[in-house]
Amino acid sequence: MKEKEISPIHILMLFPGVGFILLFIGSSIFLTLVQSFGVFSITGNSLFTLENWKVILQTRESMDSLLFSLKMGILSSVGTVVVAFPVALFFRKGGTGKGILGSIIKVPLFIPALVAAFLILNLISYHGLVNTALMRFHLINEPLRMLNDKFGWGVVFIQIWKNLPFVLLIIMASLASIRDDTIDAAKNLGAGYWSILFRMYIPLAMPGILVSMILMFIKAFGDFPIVSVAGPIYPSSIAGRMHIMATIYQEWDQAAVLGVIIIITAFIVIWAYSRLAEFVKGEI
Amino acid sequence: MTQTDNKVKRPLHLIQARKMRNYYLLLTIFFMIVMIVWVGVPILMTIMWSLVDPKNPWSYPNVFPPSFSLAQWKFVFDYTNIGRALRTSYSVAPLAVLLSLVLSLPTSYVLGRRKIPGKKLFMLLVLLPIIMPGMVVALFLSRIFTTFGLSQTFFGLVLAHTLMSIPYMIRVMTTSFQAIPQDVIDAAENLGANTFVKIRDIFLPMIRPGLLAGMIFAFTVSIEEFNLTFIIGTPTFETIPTILYSFMGYNFIRTNASVVALLMMTPNIIMLFIVERFLKSDYLAASLGKM
Repeated sequence: MKEKEISPIHILMLFPGVGFILLFIGSSIFLTLVQSFGVFSITGNSLFTLENWKVILQTRESMDSLLFSLKMGILSSVGTVVVAFPVALFFRKGGTGKGILGSIIKVPLFIPALVAAFLILNLISYHGLVNTALMRFHLINEPLRMLNDKFGWGVVFIQIWKNLPFVLLIIMASLASIRDDTIDAAKNLGAGYWSILFRMYIPLAMPGILVSMILMFIKAFGDFPIVSVAGPIYPSSIAGRMHIMATIYQEWDQAAVLGVIIIITAFIVIWAYSRLAEFVKGEI
Repeated sequence: MTQTDNKVKRPLHLIQARKMRNYYLLLTIFFMIVMIVWVGVPILMTIMWSLVDPKNPWSYPNVFPPSFSLAQWKFVFDYTNIGRALRTSYSVAPLAVLLSLVLSLPTSYVLGRRKIPGKKLFMLLVLLPIIMPGMVVALFLSRIFTTFGLSQTFFGLVLAHTLMSIPYMIRVMTTSFQAIPQDVIDAAENLGANTFVKIRDIFLPMIRPGLLAGMIFAFTVSIEEFNLTFIIGTPTFETIPTILYSFMGYNFIRTNASVVALLMMTPNIIMLFIVERFLKSDYLAASLGKM
């Protein structure tokens, strides 16, 4: 596509969209940052201090929440991609009944996250369908604790269920851009099923996989409602911890510290993944 | 197809092709069952929970509820704020979609069709509302909203929902602006088309699918927005997600939550099947497939 040169009026046209986002997101990032150091504090004493950081970094609850949220982020992003990839490979091949399957699998994309949490917790609750079925078949002697469990498997399962179509769409698009000729050529040269999978499909779909993993990680890491509904009693997610800090304890400055930690973690992960993406691109 | 008892030996590639077809058929059936269970069972369970008869409660050893009634639906509509929440949700969402459409049209045009220095950076900045964890934005945006008197107001809620849905809008529409071939525009210009004619006859028809896809994404984002609504809107304004959260929190009432859950997802699923053809994986993938 040929792109035309720009005039000042085009810069102005950027403002409604980009400006709107920058105004609100930028100002809230700025406020989070300065407030974590005690400036513009809600109590009125605007004073630069490192006290809040010390308090947060020394409390065990905050660190536990941070570790828990990191665990949820990593497990959810890896889990969703592992489940989505075989499905995406299946969809790549033509076949009967694919259209209707595509519609069915897209349903969770349109189910709000909280509703998804509710749907799944009906299944995995103490006397839910899964436990009832397992008991009927005498596979277990007493119901398993899958909801509000200590580890957080319930949360991971909900995240996978809800975000599968989202990740699937992105991975399917990157698989679709692989030409059949390339795969045929590899087959002709004697590549087996596994080497086609590991040396063709996965590397070629890598950009899509990485992007979906970033977006999934951030969703699961910063999540508040799902963990508070289906997660363990202790620790809460880091976003939940921040919410409690701000609204119940009214410790806005300490909540701001947690906010900064969340933002920094999100950006570190994005940076790491984007470096990884460049590395992968260089390899091919 | 040749008969199997045919004396002529069929070529190897045909046998292989047939084997492959059978194999894919089996695979399709397998995936179909898995997906129907994966998506269908949770929804079915919720439908059953919403129809439980309060006189004959559904408890542990029963796999199905002993009898069905609409009592739970009546209860939710009679004694909770669900009606008001529905009204709020469905009046905020169209306004947020409209506002994000108006705001993102010029921006996506420039990002899609002009050579701007730092375009990659702008495309990344546009994603900020998605990338930034919701709770952080919600808490500290609420402080800013409070300063400007926007907190706990309807307009503030619309602004917040616009903020969350605008990234999808800009990304999708930028992609569809990019897809317009320059030749068509050049030809129209050669034939003397002015800006108005170009917009009416080229841009609008060509970006219409993207426009619709973007609007649908924006709408669903607004309907399910939780963090910002929870902080900025409650308790003055309740939307469906926040009311569902209240049913799932300290006072967990499964039957009521089922009714609300169904109310929340049915319109979305209907919308999905209506607009299926606009959602051919490309839009979401093309707009978010690259950071």
